Amino acid sequence: MSAQPINQATYLIQQVAKQDREAFSQLYDRCSSLVFSLAMRMLKVRSDAEDLLQEVFVQVWRQASNYNEERGSVEAWVINIARSRAIDKIRSTRRMEKSFALTDDPARAESSDIVESAASESETRLTMNSALANLPETQRKVLELAYFDGLTQTEIAQRLAEPLGTVKTRMRAGIQRLREIISSRAA
Amino acid sequence: MAHEEWVEQAEIYGLGALDGDELIQFEAHLAACLVCDGHIRETRENLAVIARSLPPLTPPPQVKARLLHQISPEVAPSMREKTRSGWFSWGISAGAFAAAGLVLALTWSLYATRQELHTLQKEVASIQTGSILHETSIEFLSDPHARSVHLKGLAPSPGAVGHFLWNPESRKGILITQGLPKNTPDKVYELWAIAGDEPIPVGTFSVEDKPHTLLKIPSLPQGKSFDKFAVTLEPAGGVPKPTGPMHLLGNV
Repeated sequence: MSAQPINQATYLIQQVAKQDREAFSQLYDRCSSLVFSLAMRMLKVRSDAEDLLQEVFVQVWRQASNYNEERGSVEAWVINIARSRAIDKIRSTRRMEKSFALTDDPARAESSDIVESAASESETRLTMNSALANLPETQRKVLELAYFDGLTQTEIAQRLAEPLGTVKTRMRAGIQRLREIISSRAA
Repeated sequence: MAHEEWVEQAEIYGLGALDGDELIQFEAHLAACLVCDGHIRETRENLAVIARSLPPLTPPPQVKARLLHQISPEVAPSMREKTRSGWFSWGISAGAFAAAGLVLALTWSLYATRQELHTLQKEVASIQTGSILHETSIEFLSDPHARSVHLKGLAPSPGAVGHFLWNPESRKGILITQGLPKNTPDKVYELWAIAGDEPIPVGTFSVEDKPHTLLKIPSLPQGKSFDKFAVTLEPAGGVPKPTGPMHLLGNV
């Protein structure tokens, strides 16, 4: 029986599970830019993104032993932690905004600490290698609203004033198209 | 519902966009379906490409410094060392202060350890429940004769859902529920198999703090053709005929 080769990230996370701080430092160097970019895109506020980055890696430090290679790559695992935490923050903020009716507060929109969403979106669009850029506009839009803004299918239907069934169809078609793109790149 | 529809919902669940009743029903289904669990994993892996294709941003170095400090186990001991190397004239009071600090640190450490142990115990219990659910559900899902009945929440528990997996030939079954309110010690939930107008008691179970409950039915009554399954809340020990409010109901 031959030993299965493991990739560098998997080796690092196994070491982190043994509380190896050097491995943790290397894993941070490897994944922090990915998590920070995602956090900035989702939360739009630099200080919030930095806090999220720290929270995500504290969780990685504490729960590295929960990682299971058979359930996906280390990067996907870390991204999933980051997305879950970011969505919790976004939804919490949204609930507070609803409670205090601050949604249309112009002062908030002008805050210097807030990154322009539109600019960020166009950066994404301009990224040559963006997987989303290869999707039809209607599919890309629903996936962006769900993935980056943490909206549910019903919220997206309301936001776009489209029937729920249409939103679901576009989501599934978009996910299917992404799968095809990834498969063709891997081939 | 055909399983293909569950798979479609698995993709939207993996994206984090499933909501409302569909989310509740899907999570109840997911508790017993490794196929959908696999689809969710695959969807999340594929969706990671969206994050990977964002323009890379470099976080400020202070974040890493804060993080490494936060996970450092040496912070408290190094502070104690500093205190001990202070001026001797402050020796007694500083020593007492350090001792008090040490006691506090040890007390806190003991408390934190207990909390961690408690959390771990809950996680182990959850994993064990999940393992039992998966093992039992695999047995049913791999059986081509198995049937699935979806039970909807009624007025007393509108957010609850249930799934009854059963084999009409072996007469074995499992009931998985989610969202039923915790029952008091003098009450118990009772599962009924209904043939025409005749409800037949099948088994009782209690709902505790776990999100899902599992009831195994070793042998359903022979010679009956069931067209409905229901769950009612009854006096502890169960009753031969339903008397309490119906919480779940599903048609075969």
